Amino acid sequence: MTATDPENTGPRKAGPADGAAVSAHVSVEPADILLIEDDAQDAFLVEELLADTPLDSRITWVPTLGDARKHLTGFRGCVLLDLNLPDASGLGLLREVLTAVESAAVVVLTGLHDEHEGIAAVAAGAQDYLVKGQVDGSLLARSLRYSIERQRADENARQLREAEMYARENMRLERGLLPQVLLDSSPLSHLSFYRPGRKRAIVGGDFFDAVQKDGTTHIVIGDVSGHGPDEAALGVSLRIAWRALVMGGVAEERLLPALEEILISERAQEEMYATLCQTSLDVEREQARIRLLGHPPPLLITSGEVKEILAVPRPPLGVFPEDESDVEEVAFPRGSTLLFYTDGLVDAFDGGPPDRLEVHGLRRILIDVLDRGTSLTDLPGQVVDEAERHNGGPLQDDVAMLLMTYGEQA
Amino acid sequence: MDLKLDHYTEDDTEIVVVEGEIDVYTAPRLRELLIDLVNKGNVHLVVNMEKVEFLDSTGLGVLVGGLKRVRAHDGTLDLVCTQERILKIFRITGLTKVFGIYESVQEAIDKRKSK
Repeated sequence: MTATDPENTGPRKAGPADGAAVSAHVSVEPADILLIEDDAQDAFLVEELLADTPLDSRITWVPTLGDARKHLTGFRGCVLLDLNLPDASGLGLLREVLTAVESAAVVVLTGLHDEHEGIAAVAAGAQDYLVKGQVDGSLLARSLRYSIERQRADENARQLREAEMYARENMRLERGLLPQVLLDSSPLSHLSFYRPGRKRAIVGGDFFDAVQKDGTTHIVIGDVSGHGPDEAALGVSLRIAWRALVMGGVAEERLLPALEEILISERAQEEMYATLCQTSLDVEREQARIRLLGHPPPLLITSGEVKEILAVPRPPLGVFPEDESDVEEVAFPRGSTLLFYTDGLVDAFDGGPPDRLEVHGLRRILIDVLDRGTSLTDLPGQVVDEAERHNGGPLQDDVAMLLMTYGEQA
Repeated sequence: MDLKLDHYTEDDTEIVVVEGEIDVYTAPRLRELLIDLVNKGNVHLVVNMEKVEFLDSTGLGVLVGGLKRVRAHDGTLDLVCTQERILKIFRITGLTKVFGIYESVQEAIDKRKSK
Protein backbone atom coordinates (compact mmCIF):
# COMPACT_ATOMS: atom_id res chain seq x y z
CA MET A 1 0.00 0.00 0.00
CA THR A 2 1.40 3.41 -0.99
CA ALA A 3 0.62 6.82 0.44
CA THR A 4 -1.12 8.01 -2.71
CA ASP A 5 -4.50 6.42 -2.58
CA PRO A 6 -6.90 8.09 -5.03
CA GLU A 7 -9.95 7.03 -3.06
CA ASN A 8 -8.99 8.93 0.03
CA THR A 9 -12.43 8.75 1.61
CA GLY A 10 -12.48 5.65 3.77
CA PRO A 11 -13.44 6.22 7.42
CA ARG A 12 -10.18 4.58 8.57
CA LYS A 13 -8.25 7.43 6.98
CA ALA A 14 -10.01 10.15 8.94
CA GLY A 15 -7.58 9.84 11.84
CA PRO A 16 -6.00 12.97 13.32
CA ALA A 17 -2.60 12.04 11.88
CA ASP A 18 -3.93 12.18 8.36
CA GLY A 19 -3.76 15.88 7.49
CA ALA A 20 -5.33 15.55 4.05
CA ALA A 21 -8.31 13.63 5.36
CA VAL A 22 -8.87 16.11 8.19
CA SER A 23 -8.87 19.25 6.01
CA ALA A 24 -11.05 17.52 3.43
CA HIS A 25 -13.48 16.68 6.21
CA VAL A 26 -13.65 20.33 7.28
CA SER A 27 -14.37 21.74 3.84
CA VAL A 28 -17.13 19.28 2.99
CA GLU A 29 -19.11 19.88 6.17
CA PRO A 30 -22.19 21.85 5.07
CA ALA A 31 -22.60 25.35 6.50
CA ASP A 32 -26.00 26.33 7.89
CA ILE A 33 -26.86 29.85 6.78
CA LEU A 34 -29.82 31.77 8.14
CA LEU A 35 -30.41 34.64 5.72
CA ILE A 36 -32.49 37.44 7.22
CA GLU A 37 -33.17 39.76 4.27
CA ASP A 38 -36.42 41.49 3.27
CA ASP A 39 -35.40 42.23 -0.32
CA ALA A 40 -36.23 39.14 -2.40
CA GLN A 41 -33.79 40.16 -5.13
CA ASP A 42 -30.88 40.52 -2.70
CA ALA A 43 -31.77 37.16 -1.15
CA PHE A 44 -31.85 35.55 -4.58
CA LEU A 45 -28.45 37.09 -5.34
CA VAL A 46 -26.89 35.62 -2.17
CA GLU A 47 -28.22 32.18 -3.07
CA GLU A 48 -26.89 32.47 -6.62
CA LEU A 49 -23.46 33.68 -5.48
CA LEU A 50 -23.10 30.82 -3.01
CA ALA A 51 -24.31 28.24 -5.51
CA ASP A 52 -21.24 28.99 -7.64
CA THR A 53 -18.74 28.41 -4.81
CA PRO A 54 -17.32 25.18 -3.33
CA LEU A 55 -18.95 26.06 0.00
CA ASP A 56 -21.63 23.48 0.66
CA SER A 57 -24.36 25.56 2.28
CA ARG A 58 -27.91 25.03 3.50
CA ILE A 59 -29.72 28.36 3.29
CA THR A 60 -32.84 29.22 5.22
CA TRP A 61 -34.31 32.53 4.09
CA VAL A 62 -36.65 34.66 6.21
CA PRO A 63 -37.71 38.23 5.33
CA THR A 64 -38.24 39.74 8.82
CA LEU A 65 -36.89 39.58 12.37
CA GLY A 66 -40.28 38.27 13.47
CA ASP A 67 -39.93 35.33 11.10
CA ALA A 68 -36.31 34.78 12.15
CA ARG A 69 -37.02 34.48 15.88
CA LYS A 70 -38.15 30.88 15.85
CA HIS A 71 -34.98 29.84 13.99
CA LEU A 72 -32.52 31.75 16.19
CA THR A 73 -32.62 29.82 19.46
CA GLY A 74 -30.00 27.10 19.40
CA PHE A 75 -28.90 27.95 15.84
CA ARG A 76 -25.26 27.00 15.31
CA GLY A 77 -24.29 28.13 11.79
CA CYS A 78 -23.93 31.66 10.43
CA VAL A 79 -26.62 34.34 10.41
CA LEU A 80 -26.41 36.64 7.39
CA LEU A 81 -28.25 39.72 8.54
CA ASP A 82 -29.51 42.73 6.58
CA LEU A 83 -29.39 45.66 8.98
CA ASN A 84 -32.48 47.29 7.44
CA LEU A 85 -35.54 45.12 7.98
CA PRO A 86 -39.17 46.24 7.97
CA ASP A 87 -39.62 45.35 11.66
CA ALA A 88 -36.19 46.24 13.08
CA SER A 89 -32.94 47.87 12.06
CA GLY A 90 -29.43 48.95 13.01
CA LEU A 91 -27.49 47.96 16.11
CA GLY A 92 -30.65 47.30 18.10
CA LEU A 93 -31.54 44.59 15.59
CA LEU A 94 -28.00 43.18 15.71
CA ARG A 95 -28.01 43.03 19.52
CA GLU A 96 -31.30 41.17 19.58
CA VAL A 97 -29.98 38.61 17.09
CA LEU A 98 -26.66 38.20 18.97
CA THR A 99 -28.48 37.64 22.25
CA ALA A 100 -30.85 35.10 20.71
CA VAL A 101 -28.26 32.95 18.94
CA GLU A 102 -25.59 32.74 21.67
CA SER A 103 -23.29 30.38 19.81
CA ALA A 104 -23.78 31.23 16.12
CA ALA A 105 -21.71 33.63 14.02
CA VAL A 106 -23.39 36.78 12.68
CA VAL A 107 -22.29 38.53 9.47
CA VAL A 108 -24.12 41.74 8.55
CA LEU A 109 -25.06 43.09 5.13
CA THR A 110 -25.00 46.85 4.62
CA GLY A 111 -25.77 49.17 1.74
CA LEU A 112 -23.05 50.94 -0.22
CA HIS A 113 -23.50 54.17 1.73
CA ASP A 114 -23.82 52.55 5.14
CA GLU A 115 -20.37 51.02 5.47
CA HIS A 116 -19.89 52.82 8.82
CA GLU A 117 -22.80 50.72 10.11
CA GLY A 118 -20.89 47.57 9.20
CA ILE A 119 -17.83 48.74 11.15
CA ALA A 120 -20.00 49.55 14.17
CA ALA A 121 -21.64 46.13 13.88
CA VAL A 122 -18.29 44.33 14.06
CA ALA A 123 -17.42 46.40 17.14
CA ALA A 124 -20.73 45.30 18.66
CA GLY A 125 -20.02 41.59 18.17
CA ALA A 126 -20.67 40.70 14.52
CA GLN A 127 -17.93 38.51 13.00
CA ASP A 128 -17.77 40.45 9.71
CA TYR A 129 -19.67 42.85 7.44
CA LEU A 130 -20.25 42.75 3.70
CA VAL A 131 -21.27 45.65 1.48
CA LYS A 132 -24.05 44.76 -0.96
CA GLY A 133 -23.06 45.13 -4.58
CA GLN A 134 -19.38 44.76 -3.76
CA VAL A 135 -19.43 41.08 -2.94
CA ASP A 136 -18.61 38.22 -5.24
CA GLY A 137 -19.19 34.55 -4.53
CA SER A 138 -15.75 33.64 -3.28
CA LEU A 139 -15.58 36.63 -0.90
CA LEU A 140 -19.03 35.79 0.49
CA ALA A 141 -18.19 32.10 0.91
CA ARG A 142 -14.87 32.89 2.58
CA SER A 143 -16.43 35.39 4.96
CA LEU A 144 -19.12 32.93 6.01
CA ARG A 145 -16.68 30.05 6.45
CA TYR A 146 -14.17 32.12 8.44
CA SER A 147 -16.91 33.57 10.60
CA ILE A 148 -18.21 30.14 11.51
CA GLU A 149 -14.70 28.88 12.32
CA ARG A 150 -13.85 31.99 14.37
CA GLN A 151 -17.09 31.71 16.28
CA ARG A 152 -16.30 28.06 17.03
CA ALA A 153 -12.80 28.98 18.23
CA ASP A 154 -14.23 31.73 20.48
CA GLU A 155 -16.74 29.28 21.88
CA ASN A 156 -14.03 26.68 22.57
CA ALA A 157 -11.82 29.28 24.24
CA ARG A 158 -14.73 30.34 26.45
CA GLN A 159 -15.47 26.74 27.47
CA LEU A 160 -11.79 26.14 28.18
CA ARG A 161 -11.61 29.25 30.38
CA GLU A 162 -14.67 28.07 32.26
CA ALA A 163 -13.22 24.58 32.76
CA GLU A 164 -9.95 26.07 34.02
CA MET A 165 -11.81 28.26 36.48
CA TYR A 166 -13.75 25.26 37.76
CA ALA A 167 -10.56 23.22 38.12
CA ARG A 168 -8.81 25.99 40.07
CA GLU A 169 -11.85 26.48 42.29
CA ASN A 170 -12.05 22.75 42.96
CA MET A 171 -8.37 22.58 43.85
CA ARG A 172 -8.78 25.42 46.31
CA LEU A 173 -11.80 23.75 47.91
CA GLU A 174 -10.16 20.34 48.01
CA ARG A 175 -7.17 21.77 49.85
CA GLY A 176 -9.57 23.22 52.41
CA LEU A 177 -11.63 20.06 52.77
CA LEU A 178 -8.84 17.47 52.75
CA PRO A 179 -5.82 18.92 54.53
CA GLN A 180 -2.47 17.67 55.72
CA VAL A 181 -3.33 16.13 59.06
CA LEU A 182 -1.49 17.19 62.23
CA LEU A 183 0.03 13.99 63.58
CA ASP A 184 3.74 14.74 63.79
CA SER A 185 4.50 13.21 67.17
CA SER A 186 1.73 10.62 67.18
CA PRO A 187 2.34 6.84 67.41
CA LEU A 188 -0.35 6.53 64.74
CA SER A 189 0.25 6.33 61.04
CA HIS A 190 -2.34 7.47 58.57
CA LEU A 191 -3.30 7.28 54.94
CA SER A 192 -5.85 9.43 53.16
CA PHE A 193 -7.65 8.90 49.88
CA TYR A 194 -10.08 10.89 47.77
CA ARG A 195 -11.83 10.11 44.51
CA PRO A 196 -14.35 12.56 43.04
CA GLY A 197 -17.71 11.19 41.89
CA ARG A 198 -18.98 11.50 38.35
CA LYS A 199 -22.01 13.64 38.95
CA ARG A 200 -20.72 17.17 38.70
CA ALA A 201 -17.90 19.59 38.01
CA ILE A 202 -17.63 20.97 41.51
CA VAL A 203 -16.49 19.12 44.63
CA GLY A 204 -18.97 18.02 47.23
CA GLY A 205 -18.73 18.77 50.93
CA ASP A 206 -16.74 15.71 52.04
CA PHE A 207 -14.09 16.62 54.60
CA PHE A 208 -11.72 15.03 57.10
CA ASP A 209 -9.04 16.03 59.56
CA ALA A 210 -6.95 14.55 62.36
CA VAL A 211 -5.18 16.43 65.15
CA GLN A 212 -3.16 15.14 68.04
CA LYS A 213 -3.64 16.97 71.32
CA ASP A 214 -2.35 16.02 74.79
CA GLY A 215 -1.76 12.36 74.02
CA THR A 216 -5.10 11.79 72.27
CA THR A 217 -5.60 11.80 68.52
CA HIS A 218 -8.90 13.23 67.39
CA ILE A 219 -10.25 12.36 63.96
CA VAL A 220 -13.23 13.72 62.11
CA ILE A 221 -14.73 12.71 58.79
CA GLY A 222 -17.94 14.17 57.49
CA ASP A 223 -20.14 15.24 54.65
CA VAL A 224 -22.31 18.33 54.25
CA SER A 225 -25.79 17.49 52.91
CA GLY A 226 -26.54 18.46 49.33
CA HIS A 227 -24.14 19.46 46.60
CA GLY A 228 -22.70 22.71 45.38
CA PRO A 229 -20.36 25.56 46.23
CA ASP A 230 -22.28 26.50 49.42
CA GLU A 231 -21.95 22.95 50.73
CA ALA A 232 -18.23 22.73 49.90
CA ALA A 233 -17.60 26.10 51.53
CA LEU A 234 -19.46 25.00 54.67
CA GLY A 235 -17.40 21.79 54.71
CA VAL A 236 -14.21 23.87 54.72
CA SER A 237 -15.54 26.09 57.52
CA LEU A 238 -16.50 23.10 59.65
CA ARG A 239 -13.17 21.37 59.12
CA ILE A 240 -11.14 24.43 60.11
CA ALA A 241 -13.45 25.25 63.03
CA TRP A 242 -13.10 21.69 64.35
CA ARG A 243 -9.29 21.85 64.05
CA ALA A 244 -9.25 25.18 65.90
CA LEU A 245 -11.45 23.79 68.68
CA VAL A 246 -9.17 20.76 69.15
CA MET A 247 -5.97 22.81 69.03
CA GLY A 248 -7.51 25.33 71.43
CA GLY A 249 -7.87 22.57 74.02
CA VAL A 250 -11.66 22.30 74.07
CA ALA A 251 -12.66 19.10 75.92
CA GLU A 252 -13.49 16.11 73.74
CA GLU A 253 -17.16 15.99 74.77
CA ARG A 254 -17.57 19.71 74.07
CA LEU A 255 -16.13 19.59 70.52
CA LEU A 256 -19.28 18.58 68.65
CA PRO A 257 -21.74 20.79 70.54
CA ALA A 258 -19.43 23.73 69.81
CA LEU A 259 -19.08 22.68 66.17
CA GLU A 260 -22.86 22.48 65.91
CA GLU A 261 -23.19 26.07 67.09
CA ILE A 262 -20.70 27.10 64.43
CA LEU A 263 -22.56 25.18 61.72
CA ILE A 264 -25.85 26.83 62.65
CA SER A 265 -24.32 30.29 62.53
CA GLU A 266 -22.38 29.71 59.29
CA ARG A 267 -24.82 27.80 57.09
CA ALA A 268 -26.35 29.55 54.07
CA GLN A 269 -29.73 27.80 54.40
CA GLU A 270 -31.58 26.59 57.44
CA GLU A 271 -31.89 23.11 55.91
CA MET A 272 -28.15 22.40 55.65
CA TYR A 273 -26.69 19.80 57.97
CA ALA A 274 -23.61 17.61 58.21
CA THR A 275 -23.21 13.93 58.94
CA LEU A 276 -19.96 13.06 60.65
CA CYS A 277 -17.97 10.60 62.70
CA GLN A 278 -15.62 11.89 65.38
CA THR A 279 -13.23 9.43 66.93
CA SER A 280 -10.80 10.02 69.76
CA LEU A 281 -7.93 7.52 69.88
CA ASP A 282 -6.42 7.11 73.30
CA VAL A 283 -3.32 4.96 72.69
CA GLU A 284 -2.39 4.77 76.36
CA ARG A 285 -5.64 2.94 77.13
CA GLU A 286 -5.70 1.38 73.66
CA GLN A 287 -9.21 2.71 73.30
CA ALA A 288 -11.24 4.44 70.61
CA ARG A 289 -14.18 6.64 71.59
CA ILE A 290 -16.54 7.00 68.66
CA ARG A 291 -19.32 9.53 68.15
CA LEU A 292 -21.60 9.07 65.15
CA LEU A 293 -23.89 11.85 63.97
CA GLY A 294 -25.97 10.54 61.11
CA HIS A 295 -22.84 8.96 59.64
CA PRO A 296 -22.10 5.31 58.80
CA PRO A 297 -19.73 3.68 61.33
CA PRO A 298 -16.00 3.13 60.74
CA LEU A 299 -14.65 -0.40 60.22
CA LEU A 300 -12.04 -1.86 62.55
CA ILE A 301 -9.32 -4.11 61.14
CA THR A 302 -7.55 -6.18 63.82
CA SER A 303 -5.18 -8.99 62.83
CA GLY A 304 -6.90 -9.57 59.50
CA GLU A 305 -10.43 -9.48 60.92
CA VAL A 306 -12.85 -6.76 59.88
CA LYS A 307 -15.43 -5.57 62.38
CA GLU A 308 -18.34 -3.21 61.83
CA ILE A 309 -18.58 -0.95 64.85
CA LEU A 310 -22.19 -1.11 65.99
CA ALA A 311 -22.52 2.41 67.28
CA VAL A 312 -26.01 3.92 67.27
CA PRO A 313 -25.96 7.19 65.35
CA ARG A 314 -27.41 10.38 66.72
CA PRO A 315 -29.12 12.75 64.26
CA PRO A 316 -26.75 14.74 62.04
CA LEU A 317 -25.10 17.96 63.17
CA GLY A 318 -27.45 20.91 62.75
CA VAL A 319 -30.74 19.00 62.75
CA PHE A 320 -31.98 19.34 66.33
CA PRO A 321 -29.11 20.25 68.62
CA GLU A 322 -29.05 18.04 71.68
CA ASP A 323 -26.63 17.56 74.48
CA GLU A 324 -23.76 15.14 74.29
CA SER A 325 -24.94 11.57 74.85
CA ASP A 326 -23.92 8.31 73.17
CA VAL A 327 -20.25 7.48 72.98
CA GLU A 328 -19.20 4.07 71.71
CA GLU A 329 -16.00 2.80 73.30
CA VAL A 330 -14.05 0.06 71.51
CA ALA A 331 -10.67 -1.56 72.07
CA PHE A 332 -7.97 -0.29 69.74
CA PRO A 333 -4.87 -2.42 70.36
CA ARG A 334 -1.48 -1.87 68.74
CA GLY A 335 -1.50 -3.04 65.13
CA SER A 336 -5.19 -2.27 64.55
CA THR A 337 -6.51 0.02 61.84
CA LEU A 338 -9.68 2.08 61.71
CA LEU A 339 -11.13 2.79 58.29
CA PHE A 340 -13.15 6.00 58.08
CA TYR A 341 -15.10 6.87 54.93
CA THR A 342 -17.83 9.12 53.58
CA ASP A 343 -21.18 7.71 52.49
CA GLY A 344 -20.46 7.91 48.74
CA LEU A 345 -18.78 4.53 49.26
CA VAL A 346 -21.65 2.65 50.93
CA ASP A 347 -24.23 4.29 48.63
CA ALA A 348 -22.77 2.41 45.65
CA PHE A 349 -25.20 -0.02 44.04
CA ASP A 350 -24.63 -3.66 44.93
CA GLY A 351 -24.98 -5.28 41.51
CA GLY A 352 -27.54 -2.72 40.35
CA PRO A 353 -30.50 -0.70 41.64
CA PRO A 354 -32.17 -0.71 44.06
CA ASP A 355 -29.73 -2.63 46.33
CA ARG A 356 -26.92 -0.58 47.84
CA LEU A 357 -23.63 -1.82 49.26
CA GLU A 358 -24.26 -0.45 52.75
CA VAL A 359 -21.86 -1.07 55.58
CA HIS A 360 -22.05 -4.87 55.49
CA GLY A 361 -21.33 -4.84 51.74
CA LEU A 362 -18.30 -2.64 52.33
CA ARG A 363 -17.13 -5.02 55.04
CA ARG A 364 -17.45 -7.94 52.59
CA ILE A 365 -15.36 -6.07 50.00
CA LEU A 366 -12.75 -5.19 52.61
CA ILE A 367 -12.41 -8.83 53.67
CA ASP A 368 -11.98 -9.93 50.02
CA VAL A 369 -9.37 -7.26 49.31
CA LEU A 370 -7.40 -8.10 52.49
CA ASP A 371 -7.58 -11.84 51.67
CA ARG A 372 -5.77 -11.10 48.41
CA GLY A 373 -2.85 -9.95 50.53
CA THR A 374 -3.32 -6.26 49.67
CA SER A 375 -1.16 -3.90 51.72
CA LEU A 376 -2.83 -1.08 53.67
CA THR A 377 -1.24 1.42 51.30
CA ASP A 378 -3.10 -0.05 48.33
CA LEU A 379 -6.26 -0.78 50.29
CA PRO A 380 -8.35 2.41 49.69
CA GLY A 381 -7.79 2.39 45.93
CA GLN A 382 -8.65 -1.28 45.62
CA VAL A 383 -11.71 -0.96 47.84
CA VAL A 384 -13.08 1.86 45.65
CA ASP A 385 -12.24 -0.08 42.46
CA GLU A 386 -14.17 -3.02 43.85
CA ALA A 387 -17.10 -0.78 44.89
CA GLU A 388 -17.15 0.64 41.34
CA ARG A 389 -17.28 -2.89 39.95
CA HIS A 390 -20.33 -3.67 42.13
CA ASN A 391 -21.84 -0.31 41.12
CA GLY A 392 -21.38 -1.07 37.43
CA GLY A 393 -19.25 2.03 36.80
CA PRO A 394 -17.82 5.10 38.53
CA LEU A 395 -19.54 6.04 41.80
CA GLN A 396 -22.14 8.79 41.74
CA ASP A 397 -20.75 10.61 44.73
CA ASP A 398 -17.31 11.63 46.00
CA VAL A 399 -15.51 9.22 48.31
CA ALA A 400 -13.09 10.31 51.02
CA MET A 401 -11.28 7.74 53.15
CA LEU A 402 -8.90 7.93 56.06
CA LEU A 403 -7.01 4.97 57.52
CA MET A 404 -5.57 5.23 61.01
CA THR A 405 -3.21 2.55 62.24
CA TYR A 406 -1.73 2.20 65.71
CA GLY A 407 1.89 1.59 64.78
CA GLU A 408 3.39 1.36 61.31
CA GLN A 409 1.23 0.64 58.29
CA ALA A 410 2.30 -2.55 56.56
CA MET B 1 -36.07 10.30 37.84
CA ASP B 2 -39.36 11.87 38.75
CA LEU B 3 -41.34 12.96 41.74
CA LYS B 4 -45.12 12.97 42.04
CA LEU B 5 -46.76 14.92 44.83
CA ASP B 6 -50.35 14.84 46.02
CA HIS B 7 -52.10 15.89 49.20
CA TYR B 8 -55.50 15.57 50.87
CA THR B 9 -57.11 16.34 54.20
CA GLU B 10 -58.09 13.66 56.70
CA ASP B 11 -59.49 14.76 60.04
CA ASP B 12 -57.41 17.78 60.99
CA THR B 13 -54.33 16.33 59.30
CA GLU B 14 -52.93 17.06 55.86
CA ILE B 15 -51.61 13.91 54.17
CA VAL B 16 -48.83 14.41 51.64
CA VAL B 17 -48.35 11.50 49.23
CA VAL B 18 -44.89 11.32 47.71
CA GLU B 19 -44.07 9.03 44.82
CA GLY B 20 -40.71 8.53 43.07
CA GLU B 21 -37.32 10.00 43.88
CA ILE B 22 -36.63 12.77 46.38
CA ASP B 23 -33.20 14.01 45.39
CA VAL B 24 -31.27 17.21 44.86
CA TYR B 25 -33.29 17.95 41.70
CA THR B 26 -36.81 17.15 42.90
CA ALA B 27 -36.56 18.07 46.60
CA PRO B 28 -37.29 21.80 45.97
CA ARG B 29 -40.84 20.88 44.88
CA LEU B 30 -41.49 18.97 48.08
CA ARG B 31 -40.05 21.89 50.06
CA GLU B 32 -42.42 24.31 48.30
CA LEU B 33 -45.44 22.12 49.01
CA LEU B 34 -44.59 21.74 52.71
CA ILE B 35 -44.02 25.49 53.10
CA ASP B 36 -47.27 26.21 51.28
CA LEU B 37 -49.27 23.82 53.48
CA VAL B 38 -47.84 25.31 56.68
CA ASN B 39 -48.46 28.86 55.43
CA LYS B 40 -52.09 27.91 54.86
CA GLY B 41 -52.39 26.89 58.49
CA ASN B 42 -51.86 23.12 58.26
CA VAL B 43 -49.58 22.27 61.16
CA HIS B 44 -50.27 18.54 61.46
CA LEU B 45 -48.69 16.81 58.48
CA VAL B 46 -48.23 13.16 57.59
CA VAL B 47 -45.89 12.38 54.70
CA ASN B 48 -46.72 9.05 53.11
CA MET B 49 -43.43 7.64 51.80
CA GLU B 50 -44.72 4.20 50.74
CA LYS B 51 -44.04 4.91 47.06
CA VAL B 52 -40.71 6.68 47.49
CA GLU B 53 -37.99 4.91 45.54
CA PHE B 54 -35.00 7.01 46.51
CA LEU B 55 -34.16 9.60 49.12
CA ASP B 56 -30.88 11.52 49.27
CA SER B 57 -29.36 13.92 51.79
CA THR B 58 -31.08 16.95 50.25
CA GLY B 59 -34.43 15.13 50.52
CA LEU B 60 -33.77 14.36 54.19
CA GLY B 61 -32.92 18.04 54.68
CA VAL B 62 -36.30 19.07 53.24
CA LEU B 63 -38.17 16.69 55.59
CA VAL B 64 -36.19 17.98 58.57
CA GLY B 65 -36.86 21.56 57.42
CA GLY B 66 -40.58 20.78 57.27
CA LEU B 67 -40.48 19.31 60.77
CA LYS B 68 -38.78 22.43 62.13
CA ARG B 69 -41.39 24.59 60.45
CA VAL B 70 -44.42 22.77 61.93
CA ARG B 71 -42.79 22.55 65.36
CA ALA B 72 -42.48 26.33 65.35
CA HIS B 73 -46.32 26.30 65.27
CA ASP B 74 -46.62 23.48 67.85
CA GLY B 75 -47.42 21.11 64.99
CA THR B 76 -46.23 17.66 63.96
CA LEU B 77 -44.75 16.00 60.89
CA ASP B 78 -44.91 12.22 60.92
CA LEU B 79 -43.91 9.71 58.27
CA VAL B 80 -45.54 6.59 56.91
CA CYS B 81 -43.01 4.08 55.71
CA THR B 82 -42.68 0.29 55.76
CA GLN B 83 -40.04 -0.06 53.03
CA GLU B 84 -36.88 -1.47 54.56
CA ARG B 85 -34.70 0.35 52.03
CA ILE B 86 -36.01 3.78 53.07
CA LEU B 87 -36.21 2.90 56.79
CA LYS B 88 -32.49 2.03 56.69
CA ILE B 89 -31.69 5.56 55.54
CA PHE B 90 -33.50 6.99 58.57
CA ARG B 91 -31.80 4.51 60.89
CA ILE B 92 -28.24 5.13 59.72
CA THR B 93 -28.68 8.89 59.83
CA GLY B 94 -30.08 8.74 63.36
CA LEU B 95 -33.28 10.40 62.15
CA THR B 96 -35.54 7.68 63.58
CA LYS B 97 -35.03 9.62 66.81
CA VAL B 98 -36.40 12.75 65.20
CA PHE B 99 -39.40 11.57 63.15
CA GLY B 100 -42.38 9.49 64.18
CA ILE B 101 -42.41 6.69 61.59
CA TYR B 102 -45.61 4.62 61.25
CA GLU B 103 -46.98 1.77 59.18
CA SER B 104 -50.15 3.51 58.01
CA VAL B 105 -51.70 6.96 57.77
CA GLN B 106 -54.38 5.93 60.26
CA GLU B 107 -51.79 4.78 62.78
CA ALA B 108 -49.90 8.07 62.42
CA ILE B 109 -53.07 10.10 63.08
CA ASP B 110 -54.18 7.90 66.00
CA LYS B 111 -50.77 7.97 67.68
CA ARG B 112 -50.60 11.75 67.49
CA LYS B 113 -54.07 12.18 68.96
CA SER B 114 -53.36 9.84 71.86
CA LYS B 115 -50.30 11.88 72.87
